[in-house]
Amino acid sequence: MGFEDNWTFLADAARKTLKRLEKLGAKQAEAYLLATRTIETNIRNSEVFTESAIEDIGLSFRAATADSRVGFACTNIVANEERIEETGQKAFSIAKLSAPVPSFALPAKKKIPRADGLFDKDVTLAGVEDAVDIARRLIKSTKAVDRRISAKGGQVSLVYVRKGVVNSLGVDVEAEETQAVAYVYASGMNKGEPTPSCLDGQLLRSLNLNPERIGQTVGQMAVDLFNPKPVEGFEGAVVFEPEAVSYQLCDAIVGAVKGENVVAAGSPWVGKMGETVASADFTALDDATLRGGFASRDFDDEGHPSQQTTMISKGKLRSFLHNATTANMLETENTGNASRFAGGMEMTKMIIGSGYKAKPEVYPSNLVVQPGSKSKAQLVSEIDRGLLVGSMGGFVQAGSGLISAQLGRAHYVENGQVKHAVKGGMVSGVAFDWLKQISAIGNDAKQFFNSVVPSLRVEKVKVVGSR
Amino acid sequence: MFEVLEKGLEARYASEADFVQVRGQTRTITLCTVLNGTVEAFSHITLSGVSARVVTESKSWGFSSTNNTEKNSIEDAVGNAVKLAKTSAKSKSKKIALEPVKAESVEISAPCKKPVEKANLEEIKLIPMEAYRGASEAGAKIANAKASFLSIHDQKWFASSEGSRISQESTRVQLFVDIVAKEGATYCPAGESLGHTGGLELFDENPPIGLGRKAADKAIKLLSAKAPPSGSFRVILHPTICATLLHEAIGHPLEADLAMEGGGFGNYVGKPVMSKLVTIYDDGAVKNGLGFLPYDDEGVKSNHTILVAKGVLESFMHDRTSAASMKAPPTGNAHAWDYGVEPLIRQTNIGIEPGSFTVEEMTEDVQEGLFIEGTFGGQADANADFTFGFQNAYWIRKGKLAEMTRGANLSGNAISVFKTIDAVSREAVLRPGACGKGQFAIQGRVVPAVRCEIIVGGTGGA
Repeated sequence: MGFEDNWTFLADAARKTLKRLEKLGAKQAEAYLLATRTIETNIRNSEVFTESAIEDIGLSFRAATADSRVGFACTNIVANEERIEETGQKAFSIAKLSAPVPSFALPAKKKIPRADGLFDKDVTLAGVEDAVDIARRLIKSTKAVDRRISAKGGQVSLVYVRKGVVNSLGVDVEAEETQAVAYVYASGMNKGEPTPSCLDGQLLRSLNLNPERIGQTVGQMAVDLFNPKPVEGFEGAVVFEPEAVSYQLCDAIVGAVKGENVVAAGSPWVGKMGETVASADFTALDDATLRGGFASRDFDDEGHPSQQTTMISKGKLRSFLHNATTANMLETENTGNASRFAGGMEMTKMIIGSGYKAKPEVYPSNLVVQPGSKSKAQLVSEIDRGLLVGSMGGFVQAGSGLISAQLGRAHYVENGQVKHAVKGGMVSGVAFDWLKQISAIGNDAKQFFNSVVPSLRVEKVKVVGSR
Repeated sequence: MFEVLEKGLEARYASEADFVQVRGQTRTITLCTVLNGTVEAFSHITLSGVSARVVTESKSWGFSSTNNTEKNSIEDAVGNAVKLAKTSAKSKSKKIALEPVKAESVEISAPCKKPVEKANLEEIKLIPMEAYRGASEAGAKIANAKASFLSIHDQKWFASSEGSRISQESTRVQLFVDIVAKEGATYCPAGESLGHTGGLELFDENPPIGLGRKAADKAIKLLSAKAPPSGSFRVILHPTICATLLHEAIGHPLEADLAMEGGGFGNYVGKPVMSKLVTIYDDGAVKNGLGFLPYDDEGVKSNHTILVAKGVLESFMHDRTSAASMKAPPTGNAHAWDYGVEPLIRQTNIGIEPGSFTVEEMTEDVQEGLFIEGTFGGQADANADFTFGFQNAYWIRKGKLAEMTRGANLSGNAISVFKTIDAVSREAVLRPGACGKGQFAIQGRVVPAVRCEIIVGGTGGA
């Protein structure tokens, strides 16, 4: 059977299994189906190193008993109907051993609006020669910036995605999407001293990748890190560029707005609806309808229609994010944030993987921080003493929002001017305090996997020195 | 599965490749998570698939995988891989060589006394439930207690056009406990983990209830602890955090693919790179280690590879390609997380040879410093610059352990840090580990405590 036939067969078998589960006494049941076809090229040491073609089809079931005990089982052994039904029944038998989730809910059938720009036929038609060509251009343009720069690693991947959700409440939805991803990380070697790795890339739905721009950007980033100097510890203003914002700061926001954390009172923003949680010019949305957005979608991973949700408006907390169950628990609206691709550092989640292997949890689609009007140069020009931080390592501590991050790509700023690259050192503080200390927002929003964020300038950040 | 794989080796396109490696796998994962006393997640995952990896024209790799295991799917996968490799070969100038290895025909099962599949679901549920019970004894300040049992049963088959036929079976069992203690607006997280290659006998010697108690007690103590200081300190790293430092910041730069990118340990083979007290190895045959992988996914036997001997860089960890290009013997470090992805150079069970000190002796010599425990994970780059979180620390004052502090991050350059090691403890502990280098991996670490200088990024004072 080919890819297409497999899909049709799988979807039919899933529907049959749901009917069977209802007969066996399941109160609610759901099947999630995912098929991906990926062409990928990897870069290693300024060479196109490997090419792969990966096909993956699988499905998972969630089944709930009459007293709302829920089980989950998945398989990618999809060639026969018996195996699929067996997986559904496994979910149901596991459910009987689980604890009741009184508010367990699946979405009901609703009209699904189409999100624009998520599918490009050209991506599905592209072959390995296209991926190799893009990878070569990435390498060439990176190295062209300076002979001391090399493209250490990177990837071009072209993905066709087909997904569907069927549940016992009448949801039966399906969508096709494409993804075109290109990134490269580079490092420079100057006078025997390597620079930290610099990363740039594009996450698109169409084949409009611009490898030359990515290569030039990343190459220049590395050149700018030559001749670094250690810094002393001080307190000052820090401009966090989009990449830095997209990791630690976004993770802190996600932890605070995530439905499960709100239900468990593990979010520091519980009980603060309407209160100030960020500076007055900070507005953040979850936007699953963003045209061409990398995390945009027609429906979430439970089949609920996509929407735009204002989480923080002008510094004030306006909404948390929910899936069907967390919304039901708190008797509020489902924001369509069920995700089977949620990020996070939880070990079991990383072992199990994503997609059909994962249970849905609440996660942003595109976490959009509304850009401001200032260019990077303007953000820097108003700093007496501080840093310009392009990237940093380390994680935000869940709940507390504590960040102590090692500076990666970073520059020292004095009297409104970038003075030199920084060697070593850290920034430390509490992400939730930093959100309130934002003094300006850049106009340079950039798309990451689950966010579209600009630079943020934060006042009074503690810099841990490296000398 | 070998019958299916043979068809791949005999596929029409196979003859167009320099050689062909085919792999098949079935995997069963059971996860049971107990959150605050109730089973929050119970999942059963069954996966299977095949993949083909080829080299054509001595220049180009091609890889293709599918979870379709019908008869002709492996033939299609080989065909796809050959097509990919040939297409991209046109644009490649550099030759690829593979270090030759002996063809092997072996069947290996990792020792497992109490197989997970023989336990019923009720028995499995009891494991995280007991861990929770241990945690709950700490009282009302425990705001969140999560215990997860996870088992992975793998059956893997490898066949190559060079004649190897290798089948390997293993069960890996892990238990994670994550606690958040809360008092007023203060939240303190703490965690503990256990894991081995083997069956449920893991819990005979390490009862889950004890793991729950340990994590909860720590979280409660942290509520009244102060923040750690910031700056450079003389520290003793407990094996739990030493494992992270070793894996992330020393282990990764010792992986040949990352080493070849320049920086880090670059071209220092044969030269001193760290303290003479340090000998580092990687060993895929460590009994019960989570990285128990006797053969890698290129069919190479895993060695006890000495990476650093008394401070001198001896070898990197290799796959066959990097071994050939660096003219080194292959070390059996090419591992793929599952059938669906290509092998990468990965650690198996990385270890530091134990030294001669007791931890007490190591503490006695410290006038002012920190004893650092527990990991919250971390990251490092090929230059060995690292950041990672620790869970808690104790001040050391005048040679004695003093009050506890909360966790924060450590950072620095691991090569510089390992130059400052002036004591290694006499007991090395087998720890569970994991890694996300492009794809996931579960690994072991065999680590003693070490004493060194490190930068602590805390927010408190001395």
